[in-house]
Amino acid sequence: MADKAKVGTMWLGGCSGCHLSIADFHESLLDVLELAQFEFSPVLCDTKYDEVPELDVLIVEGGIRNEENRELAEMLREKAGLVIAYGTCAAYGGIPGLGNLHTVEELTTEGYINSCSTVNPEGIIPNEDVPTLESRVRPLGEAIQVDLLIPGCPPKSDVVAEAILTLLNGGTIELPTTNLCEVCPREKPPAGLAMDFIKRQFEVGKPEDDLCLIAQGLVCMGPATVSLCGAQCPSIAIPCRGCYGPTAKVNDAGAKMISAIASDYGINEDKTVDPEQVADQLDDIVGTFYTYTLPAALVPAKMQKGGK
Amino acid sequence: MSEDIKIVMFCCNWCSYGGADTAGTARMQYPPNIRVIRVMCSGRIDPQFILKAFRDGADGVFVAGCHMGDCHYDAGNYKLDRRMRLVYKLVEDMGIGRERVHHDWISASEGEKFASSVKMMVNRIKDLGPSPLKAQLDAEG
Repeated sequence: MADKAKVGTMWLGGCSGCHLSIADFHESLLDVLELAQFEFSPVLCDTKYDEVPELDVLIVEGGIRNEENRELAEMLREKAGLVIAYGTCAAYGGIPGLGNLHTVEELTTEGYINSCSTVNPEGIIPNEDVPTLESRVRPLGEAIQVDLLIPGCPPKSDVVAEAILTLLNGGTIELPTTNLCEVCPREKPPAGLAMDFIKRQFEVGKPEDDLCLIAQGLVCMGPATVSLCGAQCPSIAIPCRGCYGPTAKVNDAGAKMISAIASDYGINEDKTVDPEQVADQLDDIVGTFYTYTLPAALVPAKMQKGGK
Repeated sequence: MSEDIKIVMFCCNWCSYGGADTAGTARMQYPPNIRVIRVMCSGRIDPQFILKAFRDGADGVFVAGCHMGDCHYDAGNYKLDRRMRLVYKLVEDMGIGRERVHHDWISASEGEKFASSVKMMVNRIKDLGPSPLKAQLDAEG
């Protein structure tokens, strides 16, 4: 028992979905438990923050949303040999990061007063015994030093199991450097990738089999997304939403995707297509292109006062 | 404060950078708030470059390329044109402001247009004041 590596998991500003991915290890769990034991995990065991053991590997899910997240992240960093930012929220901020489009005040008012499921006639916003929200969501790497990113929403169980087993066996982990299109089974049109219109899935209906979704007018984030998931969604005719984040070469997944879509759009009639058309057909630029990566983007939050 | 503004300008090698040269050799006057970055084609300009300029403290970004039909590589500027329409929407949505980004076509012979466009952009950004991004990120620490 004493030889086993001590693994801890932690859950910060996320939804616990990534922990389900660990719980879903299936038979690989036996292999992992051969080499390691879970010493600290709020999801699996009864844990006390003042009795955190020294850990060899710490797997952290979720970004930094509030002061408590930051405090726990810093405390656990001290205890852990190796910290893995696990899941897209820890790596890039994830979906909670879209909260960066609003001020903290707007978020608390909406959450505690305006939302229709809330009964709060006196309009009280709790300010005691609840952690204060930070000004914006940040990826884990902006609060503490992170040794490895395993993105995904959630990361596939077999990817995580393999990564953890490789680590425990002393190997090194390399994330793919290619984008999703490299592993996507759909074929690009022989004449080159071109988009004549942008549509949403319900307008297209069932997309054609085997043909690239972008060529069929769907905004598929594949060109700006890392190929870690094996193109699961495009394989079953669902456009990629970019939940694994970009490859390491890209600073800003949304900007990269804007570049790709604007170039592909009407590329065959480059000189005659109305340049405004592509912008007209895309309403929610931030929501479409930055669904998972806003806090890690070059402009990580909405500026107030209209840029003045 | 408004005297210290910085504008990053991307110029394509074949037309707009030539336009800057023409303005220079003809000794046309324009404000010194501009920092020109030469790229081979305006079609090479990734929205990441524009956002990175803002992230690193630019108060405005000006992108210039060849006139339509003049692109050295045939159609790079058409692609930029479409891309910029999305960038305008993005910077507006992110609260940086549509006005802080501008794109225009300047040929190698248009030194006059280079100088006047730079003047126009500098005046526009001076009216808006410094970019909120750097201030907000600095304030957050």
